[in-house]
Amino acid sequence: MTEVVLKAKNLWKDYGNVVALKGVSLEVKEGEVKVLFGPSGSGKSTLLRCLAMLTIPTKGEVYLRGECLTSPGVDLNKARARIGFVFQNILLFHHLTALENVTLGLRHVLGMSKEEAEKKAMEALREVRMEKWAHCYPAHLSGGQQQRVGIARALAMDPEVILFDEPTSSLDPELTGEVLDTIRMLAKEGRTMVIATHEMLFAREAADEMIFMDEGKIVEVGPPEHFFTNPSNERVKRFMARLLEKRAWWE
Amino acid sequence: MYFLLRYMELFLNGFILTVILTVIGLSVGFVIGILTAIGDVYGGKILRILINIYVEFFRGSPLVAQLFIFYYSIPTLFNTIVDPFTVGCIVFILNSGAYQKGYIKGAIEAVYADQMMAARSLGLTKWQAIRYVILPQALRILIPSWTNEFCSLTKSTSVAIAITLREVTTIAYIVAAQTFRPLETYAFVGLIYFLWIFAVVKVLDIVYKKVRIPGFGEGVA
Repeated sequence: MTEVVLKAKNLWKDYGNVVALKGVSLEVKEGEVKVLFGPSGSGKSTLLRCLAMLTIPTKGEVYLRGECLTSPGVDLNKARARIGFVFQNILLFHHLTALENVTLGLRHVLGMSKEEAEKKAMEALREVRMEKWAHCYPAHLSGGQQQRVGIARALAMDPEVILFDEPTSSLDPELTGEVLDTIRMLAKEGRTMVIATHEMLFAREAADEMIFMDEGKIVEVGPPEHFFTNPSNERVKRFMARLLEKRAWWE
Repeated sequence: MYFLLRYMELFLNGFILTVILTVIGLSVGFVIGILTAIGDVYGGKILRILINIYVEFFRGSPLVAQLFIFYYSIPTLFNTIVDPFTVGCIVFILNSGAYQKGYIKGAIEAVYADQMMAARSLGLTKWQAIRYVILPQALRILIPSWTNEFCSLTKSTSVAIAITLREVTTIAYIVAAQTFRPLETYAFVGLIYFLWIFAVVKVLDIVYKKVRIPGFGEGVA
């Protein structure tokens, strides 16, 4: 039996009057790739942030390898270091070069020496094919290159699971392609990942399971083929039709 | 104009005192500014209230009144006499710290809150994130307004005449009274301030350009 890496149990999150999550549960197993999709405001980002404990859920539990992160007294910094996070708006540190962006966590969280950290960071940058740009500042990189550095930054920490919050939605189709290639490669390596995305073609080949969210709830779960051939829920059907229509237009 | 040459040593000593008061006020005030700005942005409610009481007192009352309070009022309460230099330093530090807190807070808030989240996602503690991610960016943004604070404080130190400190404006006052030549004397002291401020502003501009982050803060950030 494969081990469960990350688990959410009945997660609720409200921001004042707005309830962003309404009792979401899920389990991410070792080596599994899950794709989250659904309309804007359906709670995908909030769910990912709660899973990484970047946002503290109002109610419910998050477990990382069986350790309950939502119980008081847990060292959340340690837990966050074990969960990689890739942001929609990339969020590289502007004042640091690509290499320094990657070494920051290695040096100050994992306590590596400068040399060790740089060696490890270069490996990660090589993995996303950004080693040539190691000494560039974020402003001198394209959006796609920045996002690959963002992935390297998460990757270098050797996280047990990587969460992607719409990693390509701020990029044009060409740049999207290069970032998706990088994520595909990670999937092939057997990394455990949860990816919020609307790139359906990518999801179809990379995902082990797809999750449709709407209004803070999980509406439908299944293998990719299920969604492309025969989704049961009306809401899902309409959403899929729209997405596929958009793709047909691009092609 | 030549009569001024006789007083050069006095002017020089006065100018040195002006610079010392400015440098002490600016540098220790900077430390206070950073701590209070961090406290105000990231701290709890009570801390924020205390910080704002301090800031509003020193921003909201005249500098000369602050000097009098620390030089005359408080020592009288305790039946003691204090040294004007110490009082000058304390007041300029606290006064500049209050202004610098405002500038530094603005600079911290100009670094998007997202940067904090990205840092925390790597497992950095809040303090590490402030130290390695927020402050290095904020302090670069800060330099132009900090340059302003330097100009302003340099001239503000002339108020120290009120507590008998012999900084350069006080010297001018004494010389003008002795020689009955206020026009030349005050023009000369004005020139000293102008040249000093002009030179330092140029240096700070160079520093600002040197430490600038490529592509960051140019035009709309």
